[in-house]
This record gives sequence, structure tokens and C-alpha cells, in this order.
Amino acid sequence: MMTYLKQLYKTSYPFRFLLFGIVLSFLPLLSDLDIIEFSALTTWAQIIIFAVVALGLNLLLGFSGLISLSTAGFMGFGAYTITFLSNRFDLPFMLAILITLAIAAAIGVFIGLLSLRVEGIYLAIATLFVGEILQQIYKQVDWFSGGFSGVRFHYPQFNLIFTTIELTRNQTFIFLVACLVLVMTVIYNIINSRTGRALMAMSRSEHAAQAMGINILKYRLVAFVTSTVIASFSGILYASFMRGVEPTTWNLNLSLFIIAMVVVGGYKSIFGMFLGAFVIHGIPTFWLNEMFASIPGFAYIFSGVLIIVIIMFYSVGLIHIHHDIKKLYLKIKPYVIKAYKKLFTKKQEKGDKNA
Amino acid sequence: MRKTILNINNLSMQFGGLKAVDDLSFDIKENEIVGLIGPNGAGKTTVFNCITQFYKDDTGEIIFENKAGKIVDLNKVSVTKVINHGLVRTFQNVELVKDLSIIDNVLIGGHNQYKTGVLGHILKTKWAKLEEKAQYEKALKILKFLNLDGLKDFYAYGQPYGILKKIEIARTLMCNPKLIILDEPAAGLNDVETKELAELIHQIKDEYKCSILLVEHDMGFVMDICDRICAISFGKLLAFDTPKNIQSNKTVQEAYLGGNDDE
Repeated sequence: MMTYLKQLYKTSYPFRFLLFGIVLSFLPLLSDLDIIEFSALTTWAQIIIFAVVALGLNLLLGFSGLISLSTAGFMGFGAYTITFLSNRFDLPFMLAILITLAIAAAIGVFIGLLSLRVEGIYLAIATLFVGEILQQIYKQVDWFSGGFSGVRFHYPQFNLIFTTIELTRNQTFIFLVACLVLVMTVIYNIINSRTGRALMAMSRSEHAAQAMGINILKYRLVAFVTSTVIASFSGILYASFMRGVEPTTWNLNLSLFIIAMVVVGGYKSIFGMFLGAFVIHGIPTFWLNEMFASIPGFAYIFSGVLIIVIIMFYSVGLIHIHHDIKKLYLKIKPYVIKAYKKLFTKKQEKGDKNA
Repeated sequence: MRKTILNINNLSMQFGGLKAVDDLSFDIKENEIVGLIGPNGAGKTTVFNCITQFYKDDTGEIIFENKAGKIVDLNKVSVTKVINHGLVRTFQNVELVKDLSIIDNVLIGGHNQYKTGVLGHILKTKWAKLEEKAQYEKALKILKFLNLDGLKDFYAYGQPYGILKKIEIARTLMCNPKLIILDEPAAGLNDVETKELAELIHQIKDEYKCSILLVEHDMGFVMDICDRICAISFGKLLAFDTPKNIQSNKTVQEAYLGGNDDE
């Protein structure tokens, strides 16, 4: 049994994602036992939500070489649409999710077709304005978003045959973890298929990709739409854990933070997105903000400096750091052993002399 | 008499005032190796780009008998569909995905052979798994044929140039090609590697029953492996003949060594 599990761990990434999810599911228990604070669970939930959206953006930024500055806008879209559909039309939670994602995909196709003919800096500008337009809609269109005061939502509710059950806070957290594992698996399956290879080929060499029969616009669109849908999905998760949506959350800052998560965590890595979300969102919230309370906005300085350092000196991302630690360890190991032996033999000699 | 599979009639291509290809006509027969030679800037790569539809605003006809045996006018085919007809190319500067493993690079060549879509891959349906496995096996067979199977899981990044060139050739073989176009396959290779490559090209021709059109500057190599050679200069056809006749052709010699126009 144990060897079978070990084998599974070695060969199957989805199994690792599952294990990771199981480990994360213990956090609510720690919170109940007062080992971590009540508010820390909220931060962990936010980390999970950001990891989900970063996974989607990674497909765009890491694999397809495209940039989007409207990620936060699409997150907001998911959050508002799910509350709108649930509050106004009383739709079941699952159905509302499906409808939200379908609309998000349609909008992704529309914006993608308009903007994906350009690339690089022009695509950044185009998506920047899409994000700004979306944010203005959230602030101004009262019937949809409740204006500046935002809207209230509830934890996920599931309709059973006779009754409706609403999850508790802890159960919602586990629901988020399950969604994270799901999205990780989806992304893993995409990148290890023909689609993933096509995305890489397209971003590395457009001509070679075309000669191999890869339609550039089609695959850009696939990446953009997938990333949009996943961003909306993470917005849904946000609304359901935070039990409400405010319009000011979905600004350019958030989009840039998510890009920072992808860069810091490591392009093209799946666990890296969680690490990136933890470093960019978790570390400031858990420790730095308290330590540097006298400097307002220290989190921004921290993530800004970190991005520069990572891009300049460690562009593969922090997720690869364990390889380098291992390498360093193997490099200094002989010296350590030598030094240890020297020390040891010297002591012996001293001992001899004393005798 | 062997069948003609590619017929180029009066191909012209103009960049502004420069005629890169000027009224060029030649043909390639079944199971034949044709070399395209010419001094620097003669328009060889432009001809390739016209055939593979990277350049769309050329004039003239490019008639190709595809792998289903149908006659198609390639000028009416979009650049990403050319490979479906069994025509595939390599590039002058190796264009591989450096941060993918070698076998994944080869699998890119099989892109259009898949029938399952994105959703199938996400859900990992049985059909998608089977298809992926079949393609993987095919790629592995090709790598074995090229003696690269020991390297299959290594990144393309950091491999020596000779290996990279071979990977590019392996990638073209994934689509069951009828005509492979090689853009300077021997550039940057040493003598031993060039000899190996010549052998390999012959093996590919026999094993995969395809024709090969290549551009190359290494004259020894070209004369050695080609059945016929098409010599061009400033986009114009100089001669289209067997290697022996090309070597003794006066106009070709002039184009390479410089004519005596001034005297």
C-alpha cells in the first residue's frame, strides 16, 4: 500500500495536488484549536483565491507570452455576477456558477478577438482599459453592483432534494481548497496536452508554430478565454468566502499583484502560483504589515522590490529555489565533512597531548 | 517515369522595388531530392516562404499533389493548413521550443493529427488518452529512427547544434510528409555531422517515401545527395539539371565566381 502510494506520488501530479489539498484542509481545524488566529484563516482563503487566479494568468503570461492587465476586472466580474444572479433571480449556487463562467467565456472571446491581434505593450494597454472600464461599471451601475457600497452575499448554498444547506465558514474554506485542486488539475492537463505544447510553440517561435499547423489567433484566444474564465471563477470564490463584494477591490493594483505572484512564484509552475500568492499576499498580511505599521503601504514596497530582485537575479521563480538549496548543500557537504573531521581529529590530538 | 508532385510555374515575388523571385519555374518528382542553390541573396529562402505560404502576395502557381493524391493550388491554402497536405519545412535558424523536452518538441509536429479538443484534454477522456499515447509512440519511433531516443526527456535547451537540427527534422516527420523542405540543414555542422546528415536524408527518403527540397551552401554536400539541382541568381532560374551538368554549366559558374561583364 505504502509503496503503491509512493509510486503514485512519483508519477502522478494530480495525486500531489490532492495531497496538497488535504494538507490545506487542516487549516480550519488549526483555527478551531486556536493554533492560528481566526483572521489568519481569511488570509489563507485569500491566498488560495489568488493562487487560483494566478494559475489562470500563468497560462497567459508563462505559456503563451501574452500579458493582461484586466485580470482584477474579470475577477470582479465573477464576484458581481454570481451575487447578482443569486440575489436577484434566486438561482441555485451551482447553476449560477455555470452561467457566470459561460458569460465570462463569451466576454473573453469578444475582448480577445478585439485585442489579441496586437501583442506586447499594445495588448497591455488594451487590457488595461478593459480593466478600468469594468471597474467603472462596478462603481457606477447601481442595479448590477450596488454602487460604492457594494453587495452582500452568503456562503455557498447547495440545494438538496428537500432542504437547502449553507456551508459554514470552515466548510467554505474546504470548498475553496477543493476548487484550487480542481483548477490545478485542469491547468496541469491543459499544459501537458497538445494545447499546452501549441501555446509554448506559439510564444517561442511564431513561424515554426505556423509551419506545424498551429493557428496563432486561435490559441491566443484559447489562452485568453481560459484565463478569463478562471479569473471569474476565483472572483466567485472570493464573493462566497468574503460574503460580499466591494467595487474598490478590483483595481489595477490587484492585477499587478497577480502578475507579481506569477513572476515571483515561477513561470510555468503550478505549485509556484500558490507560493507566489503566499509570498506576495500572505507574508505582508501575516507579518510585515504589523512589523512596519509606521510605513503605510509597506506591502507595495516589499512586492515591488521583490519583483525587481526576482526578475534580475532569479528569473525562474522562487519555486525552483529548493533545487539550488540542494545543489548548494551538495557543494558544501564535502567541506563541512572535512571541517568536521579536522575539528574532530584536532580534539583527539589535544586529548592525546593532555594525556 | 516518376510522377511530379510539386510544380512551380512562373513564381514571382516582389518586395517594394526588389524582385526577390523572378518568373521561376521548376518541379519536384516523387521520391527525389532536389537542391536549390544560389549565391547569397539569390532568393532561395523567399522561394521556400512562398511555397509554404508564409508570403501570400506572390504571383504564379504552386501546384502540389497532396498525400491523399489530390491536386491542390497551395496559394489558396492558409499557412497553418499547408502541413495537412503533407508539406512541411524546417528553418534556417533552428526554431524549437527550448524549454520543452525533446519528445514534446517532436510532438508539436503532430499538432494537426489530433482529433480531440481542449475539453477532452482537460477532462482526460479515454479517447484523448489513447490518442496522446498513439502520438507519443509515433514520436518515439521517429526518435529511435534518428538515434535520439536516449535523449527524449532532456530539454532542447543546451543541446548541441547537430542534435537540434536533427530534432527539427524529427518534428517534420510527425505529419507523414510527402515533401520535406529543409532550409540549410548542414549549416553549422562539422564534417562528420554533415556526412551523417547526408546519410540520414537518404534514409528518410527511403523510409518515409517522400521527396526532399533543400537549400544549402555546402556544395560538396549538395552535389553528393541531390538528384537534381536548381540554380538561381537574383531570383532568376539559371539552370535546372543533374549535379554533373550543373557543375559544368557556364552561367552557374559565372554567378558564383563573378562574370566577365566588364571586359
